[in-house]
Amino acid sequence: METTNQDQVNVFGATLSRRQFIKAGGVLVVGGSLVGPRVLKGEDAKPTTLKNSLDASLPSSWIEIHPDNTILIRTGKNDFGQGSTFTAYPQIVAEELSVPFEAITTVVQGGTDCTPDGSGAFDFLGDGMPNIRKVAAYTYQALLDLASERIGVAKDKLTVKDGIVSGGGKSISYGDLVKNQQLKLTIPVRGNLTGIIGLTVDGNPPMKPVSEYKVIGKSVRNSAITLKVTAKENWATDVRLPGMLHARVVHPKTLGSTLISAGELDKSKFPNSQVIVKGNLVGVVAPTEWEAIQAAMQVAGATKWTEWKGLPGNAKLYQHLRDEADWKSTPVMQGHANKGNAESTLAAAAKKLSATYQLSYMKHAPIGPTMAVADVKADGTVHIHTHNQNPQQLRGEIAMMLRTTPDRVIVHAYPGPGHYGRSNGGNAGAEDEAVILSQAVGKPVRVQWMRADDMQWSTQSPASFSDVQLAIDEKGKMTAYQIDHYMPAMQDDRLIGAVLAGLPTMPAPDVHSDFITSTMNNISDEWVYAPVPNVVERGHGTFQVGQKASPLAVGLRDHSMRTPVQFQQNYPRELAISEAASLARADAIQFRIDHASEERAIGVLKAVRDASGWDTRPSPRPDAVSTGSTPVRGRGVSLLYRNLTYWACVCEISVTPATGAIVVERCTFAVDPGIVINPVHLKRQVEGGAVMGIGHALLEEVMFDESGVTTDDWNSYPVPTMADLPEIKVVLLHNPAVGKYGGGSEAANALAAPAIAAAFHDATGKVIRRLPMKPAYVQAVLKT
Amino acid sequence: MATINVNGVRREVQAPGDTPLLYVLRNDLELSGPQFGCGIAQCGACSVLIDGKEVRSCVTALSEVTPNQEITTLEGLPARWAKQKGISAEQAKNTLHPVQQAWIEEQTPQCGFCQNGMMIKATELLEGNPNPTLAQIKVAFTTSGLSPNLCRCGTYVAIIDAVKHAGEIMAGRR
Repeated sequence: METTNQDQVNVFGATLSRRQFIKAGGVLVVGGSLVGPRVLKGEDAKPTTLKNSLDASLPSSWIEIHPDNTILIRTGKNDFGQGSTFTAYPQIVAEELSVPFEAITTVVQGGTDCTPDGSGAFDFLGDGMPNIRKVAAYTYQALLDLASERIGVAKDKLTVKDGIVSGGGKSISYGDLVKNQQLKLTIPVRGNLTGIIGLTVDGNPPMKPVSEYKVIGKSVRNSAITLKVTAKENWATDVRLPGMLHARVVHPKTLGSTLISAGELDKSKFPNSQVIVKGNLVGVVAPTEWEAIQAAMQVAGATKWTEWKGLPGNAKLYQHLRDEADWKSTPVMQGHANKGNAESTLAAAAKKLSATYQLSYMKHAPIGPTMAVADVKADGTVHIHTHNQNPQQLRGEIAMMLRTTPDRVIVHAYPGPGHYGRSNGGNAGAEDEAVILSQAVGKPVRVQWMRADDMQWSTQSPASFSDVQLAIDEKGKMTAYQIDHYMPAMQDDRLIGAVLAGLPTMPAPDVHSDFITSTMNNISDEWVYAPVPNVVERGHGTFQVGQKASPLAVGLRDHSMRTPVQFQQNYPRELAISEAASLARADAIQFRIDHASEERAIGVLKAVRDASGWDTRPSPRPDAVSTGSTPVRGRGVSLLYRNLTYWACVCEISVTPATGAIVVERCTFAVDPGIVINPVHLKRQVEGGAVMGIGHALLEEVMFDESGVTTDDWNSYPVPTMADLPEIKVVLLHNPAVGKYGGGSEAANALAAPAIAAAFHDATGKVIRRLPMKPAYVQAVLKT
Repeated sequence: MATINVNGVRREVQAPGDTPLLYVLRNDLELSGPQFGCGIAQCGACSVLIDGKEVRSCVTALSEVTPNQEITTLEGLPARWAKQKGISAEQAKNTLHPVQQAWIEEQTPQCGFCQNGMMIKATELLEGNPNPTLAQIKVAFTTSGLSPNLCRCGTYVAIIDAVKHAGEIMAGRR
């Protein structure tokens, strides 16, 4: 322990200070101090300090240890169904502090005035080093310093079990260490609180050895589940403020329409309603929700918009993307694994595959449409009550819209429906509209999007296509692999209400280096076939479809969705690898093993082969059939590496050629995330992701015409039902030697599609390359 | 003014008769179980039991419900179970419906927004048949109501596990 002055102790770069002795209570609080440059380019190094934030440089930010041995933790990450903040996070803290899981009695998350670090609800385990882990590690060291001082035993002679520090025959609990004292640990942090990444805890405090883990690896329960199941949860949808008005927004007729005239309200029917017009934003407010809905419908019918036709429509989408989209303005991105000379190898190839793969637009489709309550006070402060994956970034965006500073904006975070990435840049949809309407009427306003608003005016996952060429030599080895990925800009975090109202918001996606709004298409699918000697991966980006032509500059707005970019790049790769195996007359799993070198990749492939009962042989099966009304069966495999986690999946399907119907009968997953933190929750996340992945493969496609999105409900955007559920088997490979926590909540949705498409080839002998594999398309493919 | 019977209590409601029951339950009676998912009976997030039958409250007008009909929301499941089992009112306060117990035991919800409807549908199913087959469970959650009960997080495996678990509790096998 190095004493820097009477009241301060240096703890591996953090500072422990004793503010004062107090008579009752006592606490150790862990905050942060900002060091180093901000994460994002082009910003100055001044620390982000916002009023109405739990400033990370101030006390009580991250962890509080109380005299009764209870512990409170805070995180800016907001749960969207992953459960990590209620399972993995307290497990990690309990582990680093050597306390029981039950000692962590409170998890505070999300709100901009009560959490320290910001960032979006994604990548919860942060490549194995989430903020909360380092915070806990610093705290543990500070507690040892305190105990060493108190019981007079050298720090390296102390041990901790269940929150009790022992050494030299003496012991003291954490609670007693903090009793009657006000202790503060200030830890180093860096970053931009209202940016997409938020603040990051700096430094390298010692971590508990994995071999000593006791809490991590146990299937502790998620406390939020109990609240939700017993109707005790405080959902965003439950927020009611005094004097609050209900609102609905009349969105434009098309994605390029401007307002000619807002409809006149029928005051005889809706005496308490009011129409608010700001630019092209038309809102209707009323004291009751039912009146707001009916009045908005009446006003919508009487509102006049300009006509606009600037989209290609579904039928011409891929022709538009191929021939008309501007791929030249945006720099081509190169893969990190690029090597050798693919071009000359392809030219001389014994066998060659040349193919194009296409993925449709998909909706995040939260089960509840976006909603928010905003309260713009007379003094200009703004309170927003909502369910948003990045409250701190929303705060910054609302401040920009109102031309004020973020310290005037407070975002209160609540549970709500999963967004699957849609609001991880701070924009769920209704928040800014609620703010604009609240400001106009001087009262709190609750904006609830209807199902059609949510389908037609939210962002979507962009369509894409990829051109693949690969070469197989005489021995059946893949000697060259070349892929060109084409995808419109994926991240549009502009506030749609601000866009419609003509208020300031983020720039539209464009050719620039700010990754959040760039048109650049990075290579994000980690290459896993290292022995292939010649590799080219290129990413081609462009503007969003319709964006340039729309007077509103919106077009088909896109946003990252579960396993973003990687799904669009892994699907063509993995399906092409399965086709390559067929060209080589090799088994699809063995072919992958033969072209991989990483043990963990080979490990998940072998595990999924064993668990699925895979029969090793080339595809298609010898008796493959592409006609008739008798179902034919096949199986396919896929492989993916993301966020330190290796995934392999086998899907077994049946195809009825006469109807084009595909049924997924069995799905087997092998997942190696390194350290498994919570087996039950990881298994549940994989099961859920598998179901979503079947939807992506077979059902999900945003329909649009020349004017806008025509998909407007669950009939026109079907997602999997229980009837679509196959038998799902999940094999978790706990691999402590990796020493890190891989992300396991996300990528399960990406595995099914390439495995199902490969299974289709296995069953029928026909190659299918476009998603989704709807019956009419399947029938057309079978006739080729 | 309308009178409805919600979770065993008669409630006077000041709302036009054409108001969907969902808004009455959420806004007038401040119940948080039923959720707005689609407003057009396509998802099931808003489901309640009316006389034991699963009903979509988003398309059920207040005027369609009579004072004699018994509306049960997620909040009312423990009392419903207590009444069925003859558990005292005092004990009932510390009791969960087997469906709720099972949903916790099996760690079923992810975001949880649809799970109100899933638990209501499970209660309807299990009150008639506490030992359903997998096929019967799939029918209940897909074709027995106005639409399939949709879960965008894809928790169907966990729902099936929980339905079976709850059935075992209800039949006294657990």
